[in-house]
Amino acid sequence: MKKSVNIDEKIGATKFFVDEEYAHLKIKSPEVCHNCLSKPCLNFCPAGVYRFSDNKLVVSYQACLECGSCRVGCPFMNIHWDYPRGGFGVSYKFG
Amino acid sequence: MESYSFDVVIVGGGPAGLACGIKLAEKGVNTLLIERGRFCGSKNLFGGVVYTSSIKEIVPEFPEVSQSPVERPVTEEGYIFFSTKGVVKFFHTKSDSQEAFTALRARFDAFLSEYALKKGLLIAPKTKVVDIILENFKVSGVIVDRPRSFKDLRPAEVKAKIVILAEGVNRLLTEKAGLVKGPFKPEEVVLAIKEVLQLPKGELEKRFGLNEKKGLAAELIGEITSGLPGTGFLYTNTNTLSFGIGIFLNTLVNSNLKPYEILERAKAHPYLHELLDGAEILEYGAHLIPEWGLQGLPKLYGNGVMVVGDAAGLVNPLFREGTNLAIYSGIMAAETALEALEKGDFSEKTLKSYEERFKESYIYKDLLLFKNLKKFLLNNRQIFETYPNLIYEIFSLYFSAQGQYKKEVVREIIRTIKRKRGLFGVLKDIINLGRLFW
Ligand SMILES: Cc1cc2nc3c(=O)[nH]c(=O)nc-3n(C[C@H](O)[C@H](O)[C@H](O)COP(=O)(O)OP(=O)(O)OC[C@H]3O[C@@H](n4cnc5c(N)ncnc54)[C@H](O)[C@@H]3O)c2cc1C
Ligand code: SF4
Ligand code: SF4
Repeated sequence: MKKSVNIDEKIGATKFFVDEEYAHLKIKSPEVCHNCLSKPCLNFCPAGVYRFSDNKLVVSYQACLECGSCRVGCPFMNIHWDYPRGGFGVSYKFG
Repeated sequence: MESYSFDVVIVGGGPAGLACGIKLAEKGVNTLLIERGRFCGSKNLFGGVVYTSSIKEIVPEFPEVSQSPVERPVTEEGYIFFSTKGVVKFFHTKSDSQEAFTALRARFDAFLSEYALKKGLLIAPKTKVVDIILENFKVSGVIVDRPRSFKDLRPAEVKAKIVILAEGVNRLLTEKAGLVKGPFKPEEVVLAIKEVLQLPKGELEKRFGLNEKKGLAAELIGEITSGLPGTGFLYTNTNTLSFGIGIFLNTLVNSNLKPYEILERAKAHPYLHELLDGAEILEYGAHLIPEWGLQGLPKLYGNGVMVVGDAAGLVNPLFREGTNLAIYSGIMAAETALEALEKGDFSEKTLKSYEERFKESYIYKDLLLFKNLKKFLLNNRQIFETYPNLIYEIFSLYFSAQGQYKKEVVREIIRTIKRKRGLFGVLKDIINLGRLFW
């Protein structure tokens, strides 16, 4: 009964001030991702930031909710994790 | 301004940092609070039910304030057990409607920061602390992601006699200060996702049986998390609903399930489907809840530094405590800072009294009491899988017992328990649960 959910629609409801100059999430080694069989980041990230396309892990840091899950959830600690610069990133109106 | 210098610098404008800042500003201490969000609250998210008594500690006139952050008083609270077929609800109506209220962080934190500004606290928003300054084994300030001046683009330094880390669950600076070893583990945190929902006009009151003096706070257990260890919540705000789920991060990582798909599945449950029908999503967000407890508690102080609130892991999810504990710890750190400023000594020796205060408080005693709870929950999945279904079936049998010999009904109930968990299993669970506390 797996229904696919459109995460972009959910993210679309939330306000962001995107920092186009600084990507606060970086993959340390693409090689490690290549060899990572289960790629859990594709699933547990609540914002769907990590996607796999053209045999490559794509990181859409612009949609990141800054929860911190991928900092510790990547089994190979392959994500260089930081907050966006001050004033950038998610900006809740409700919270 | 080429170089900045304060008595106290607070990193983070959540309830812990703001409580601390209010107490220091009231005493005239030269304090700067640094917040990376555009305003205090803009980065934060919670359930959330807040207890009035804790706010009164920093805002004595509360709730008689202008621009009140109160959404609704909590007059009805309880648990809803979700089975695949239906739900069982346990609810309690509160006699004191002033005791607890629902809130939204973007407004709640902003309210506290407005109050703090009036008390004389300096707040620098849109500013991220990127590092701490260590000199002779003492924390002596922080480095921020703002340039020193128009001409000098190096990151600015802010000196302080004491730095208070109120940075929340992702405690990067607490790690940098050496107060805790490395990042927490996935099994030490719960990943929560939340939606703020708006029902068609008039429907909130109608569907939840509310008027403006009433509000509801429900914890949801069972099918709501697809049986994974975690819970859901459904709270009523003035015009909106706060709805979300929280699941231990390690189980999410291992299960390869998407949290928002679990959320959608929950919304499709017949009970919620009816309640939430036609709801518009006003906002979607995610946040971690620290559940490392005493086992993962950082050292709370060092030379020139103290850690408060979520950064230390001061939450008790079973009782929805987090905001209040953040406030209490912020106040204790402020008292300690005042003591240190008076003495003129900012070393560990003096700041240790923060830990002493903490150990005398109920926060510590509670953390001690609940120290094995997380392990118990992670090792006893039946609480989230079997029991909600079992409870539902038992009540179904009980409520359809009319026109039958009741001994048969009792037998059927016992048969159901045997089938689902076994009498021995239930007994074992009860004993194990009891052992947690005695
Ligand atoms: C889903 C959910 C539901 C919850 N429900 C409840 C509830 O019902 N009742 C309750 O009492 N508690 C609840 N809590 C817990 C409660 O929200 C927290 O315990 C509380 O907010 C902790 O306060 P804090 O000030 O320690 O941290 P936070 O509120 O996280 O504040 C930390 C602040 O520091 C800032 N910051 C971090 N790093 C930096 C940096 N490097 N530079 C500058 N600024 C920085 C952040 O932007 C943030 O504003 C819930 C939590 C969640 C996630
Ligand atoms: S989990 Fe880590 S290693 Fe695996 S694909 Fe994702 S980022 Fe790469
Ligand atoms: S911090 Fe959270 S939202 Fe952002 S990429 Fe990592 S898991 Fe996704």
